Amino acid sequence: MDLIRPASPLQEDNAPSKAAAQRTALSGGAALSGRAARRRRAIAVAAVMAAGLVMSGCGGGAATQGAEKAAAADPASGDAATGSINVCGGKDASGIYKGTAEAFTKENGKVTAKYTEIGATTDEARTQAVQRLEGKSTECDIFVTDVIWTSEFASQGWLLDQTKLVEANRDRLIPSTVETTEYDDKYWASPFFTNAGLVYYQKDKVAKPETWQQLYAEAAKAPGNGYVYQGKQYEGLTVNFLEMLYSAGGEVLNDKGEVTIDSPQTREVLDFMSNGLRDGSADRAVLTYNEDPARLAYESGNFGYQRNWPHVYRLLNATPLAGSFGVAPLPAWEGGKASGVLGGWNLAISAHSTNQAGAVAFIDFATTPEWQKHVAMDYSQAPVNEAAYSDAAVLQKMPFAKELLASVKGAKPRPISPVYPQISQAIYKNVYAVLSGTASTEDAVKKMAEEITAAKASF
Amino acid sequence: MSTLTAERTTAAPADRPRAPKRRLRGEAKLHPLVWVFVLAVMGFSLIPFYWLVNTSLKKGASLSQGELFPSQPTFENYLVVFQNAEFLLALRNSVIIAVVTTTVALVFASFAAYALARLKMRRKAMILTLILSVTTFPAIAIAAPLFSIWREIGLYDMLLGLIIPKLTFALPLAIYTLTSFFKEIPRELEESAYMDGATPFTTFRKVILPLAVPGLATTAILVFISVWNEFLLAVTLTTSPEARPVPVAIAFFSGTSEFDQPLGTISAASVIITVPLVILVLVCQKRIVSGMTAGAVKG
Amino acid sequence: MATKTLAPRRGPVRGGNGRDQAERRLAVRMTAPSLVLMALVAAVPIGYAAWLSLNQYSVRTAGLSRFVGLENYVTALSSPEWWASFGQTFLFAGLSVSLELVLGTAMALLLNLAFRGRALLRTVVLLPYAIVTVVSAITWQTMFQPNMGLVTNVLSALGLPGGDVVWLGEHGYAMTVIVLADVWKTTPFAALIILAGLQVISAETYEAAELDGASKWQAFVHITLPLLRPAIVLAAIFRTMDALRVFDLPFVLTRGANGTESMSMLAYTQLRENRLVGEGSALSLLTFLTVMVVSVVYIRFAGGNIREVAKEEQ
Repeated sequence: MDLIRPASPLQEDNAPSKAAAQRTALSGGAALSGRAARRRRAIAVAAVMAAGLVMSGCGGGAATQGAEKAAAADPASGDAATGSINVCGGKDASGIYKGTAEAFTKENGKVTAKYTEIGATTDEARTQAVQRLEGKSTECDIFVTDVIWTSEFASQGWLLDQTKLVEANRDRLIPSTVETTEYDDKYWASPFFTNAGLVYYQKDKVAKPETWQQLYAEAAKAPGNGYVYQGKQYEGLTVNFLEMLYSAGGEVLNDKGEVTIDSPQTREVLDFMSNGLRDGSADRAVLTYNEDPARLAYESGNFGYQRNWPHVYRLLNATPLAGSFGVAPLPAWEGGKASGVLGGWNLAISAHSTNQAGAVAFIDFATTPEWQKHVAMDYSQAPVNEAAYSDAAVLQKMPFAKELLASVKGAKPRPISPVYPQISQAIYKNVYAVLSGTASTEDAVKKMAEEITAAKASF
Repeated sequence: MSTLTAERTTAAPADRPRAPKRRLRGEAKLHPLVWVFVLAVMGFSLIPFYWLVNTSLKKGASLSQGELFPSQPTFENYLVVFQNAEFLLALRNSVIIAVVTTTVALVFASFAAYALARLKMRRKAMILTLILSVTTFPAIAIAAPLFSIWREIGLYDMLLGLIIPKLTFALPLAIYTLTSFFKEIPRELEESAYMDGATPFTTFRKVILPLAVPGLATTAILVFISVWNEFLLAVTLTTSPEARPVPVAIAFFSGTSEFDQPLGTISAASVIITVPLVILVLVCQKRIVSGMTAGAVKG
Repeated sequence: MATKTLAPRRGPVRGGNGRDQAERRLAVRMTAPSLVLMALVAAVPIGYAAWLSLNQYSVRTAGLSRFVGLENYVTALSSPEWWASFGQTFLFAGLSVSLELVLGTAMALLLNLAFRGRALLRTVVLLPYAIVTVVSAITWQTMFQPNMGLVTNVLSALGLPGGDVVWLGEHGYAMTVIVLADVWKTTPFAALIILAGLQVISAETYEAAELDGASKWQAFVHITLPLLRPAIVLAAIFRTMDALRVFDLPFVLTRGANGTESMSMLAYTQLRENRLVGEGSALSLLTFLTVMVVSVVYIRFAGGNIREVAKEEQ
């Protein structure tokens, strides 16, 4: 492991050639004159491109044994770390990534961290991360990973085994958040900040919901009481569905990883959701909503309940609804207990990182109880450290911290599998079919189970 | 065969002095129904655009009100966009990329189109099919391999790295459009040039190109806009604000969390970036009208 | 045959073999820059995708792959999803392209008229084309949003049907919005190409027709339309190719729900989301072949200049 790393070779190489390239580009017309030269250049480019394909190693070759052979991160290495690290992830909307990198650089003194935005959306960030990992790129030392990517990345052998690091930091991490980093009995990332669904409700119109049944009943009472959630055909629908399924005691995969979604609970929840759309508890427009349209619809004042993430709190306070809405943890299923689904982002170390010690130091810093308070205070994200939720300064910024903590602690990860994207598609497509009325509950459940089983059999 | 009649009829004006009547056609009397249609077309084009402008003038809670006229219009979104250094950088990048790509595409394509439309050449059908096949491949399947190759040869995250593929995928449209236009140009004009002893290349430069100005202007607009709006390659092949073009920069606009979409700012930015295109259209549109007739006189 | 009779009009004046060869050499040189660039930038990835489509790549173990021949194609072609998206894509393309061509021709005729405010009309008509596709998708999404959208609000206020419909959440309606959004954005493309085609029709042609006592409509049907055919076919080819590869609009508006999943979206899901590289590449190639076949059929049967060029064998 080389501890002193030359500052990002990619960047340095590019600097001079970039200017040159722009010059060439600008004089594009002139290139036409030197035909012979261009022909030579064309041949050269062709050769380089062919070589590039071979080198990028997409064509197969010797298989690495994925997760089993992965190297492990040494928790003690962080203390001696030097050099620089590059943290890569999606769009830094709240500023938390750049902010953490800056604070770490200042505090550490020996290691400098910078943040690179590699995708504008979650989907793009994943694509860009995958492209770099497949190409064995050393550009990024740490990837900020969505909780649902962990098993996929780990099984491919792209990540450093963080088991020892997570064990060492265990006391300061909320157990449910640690679960999202587990695959094959090892931990592959450290939780950075978490997320859990909350219910926003209009105190003047409806009661704080204790159970889903009560929420739906109350929502159906008057036209202005309706419930809005994320019902578009996408990942968010999987989350909304699983939140109810988990609280009803259902599951997608059991502890052994067998498909157990074909259950009475799944049918009950699906019927409940589609009845809700029929009797007016939920507006049919939810079939087109993801997070933002759901929030905007609720902000119009025409609804009583909204399921959304914690970020909505601040936005709602900037509207006329400020003061009239309450925040509650997700309700329980009647006769069951409250549960939910964890969102949030983890920090994974790339197997191709050239400064693993620096990455360990960064993760150590990001998960300290002290910095976790800033996660809440400065960036309005949900900390992964329990103590942060009762900190006075945090409570001032996030008065609903207690409800949020309850939601986070009661929540479970989404199904853990390297083929999670396919599993989620099987869920949201079939749930959507039931909600929009194009499939019966029975058919949808059967199909869901079949498709998940098929997905799990992927090569 | 209809095109053959076209050639003959269009050939006619070259032999005669141009009739000054041309301008009068249509201007004489616009039927009221035509005006209705003009208004309908404008409405169809403008209403969604109006909605975009409307959204760009709203912020906060009023975004969810669906008002047809913003009750408290604000230019704050525009300010935010203009104060965003990365957006201005992106604007610069987009202008460079679009101008360079369009210019080079026109040069390359007019060469190729002339050869295809006028010169003796083997396997034209095959060449045309190959050219077309370049644009019929789903872009997603091209982006990933290009990403790997570009990283290996150092073109990743650079303007040139965007110009090259965008040029490639703009060429088929340009070549097809120009071939079609060159084909329309009456042969008689060239033949008189040959009589004077001009080489095919000189004829191309001195006779064909001036005559094809409306085609060139149309092609320029089409290529420019398609390059300007292209998103997938742009997002796959760049990572830093120094290389990001406008559509990608807009996608990077953010609210306060990963979930909220800053509708107001996105709309304001989209309105702003139509300005360069409006200018382009205003500049080019005169050429579209005047080019052919002016050229015919010269010939 | 046609080539023979037209011989004196085709190509520069013949001056024997040397001249012929020089011309061919020039032709090769003039097409080379474009062809070389396309071969380098497009052919390599396409060939690479073709290779990928013959293999299966493990989503569980990095670097593990096996050669499966045409199995990925068999899987794709025997899946109901492929055929559903195939039908939906053609429905979308058929509807939007035909609307675009009719509207585009009408717009082009308007833009060709000389009247005050023509410059303004030209600019206005082109505005939609200048909007980034994703933004135009978001705009149409909000316009049809129940309770807060322009269209839904106006329809409700006027008491017209559709005001309380969740447009993007309903079969049929969702496709309508996607088609409208596409027509709005890309009709200017067709109009511009057709307008340029109109410019080459001379006024004299019409005058001759008028002398013959033809009505405006007759003149349009018998003179303008046939003369415009090359331009219309050209617009049709490129619009159809784009429409058959539609991705952004359904991706943003519905994520493929309610009968709007396109072939490109299916390829995207397998390639990007599920990382089933082999199957995804096979789907890309199938999309590619489908679009190719359609374009070639267009050129062959719809005619236009391009077919004439393609027919020239010299």
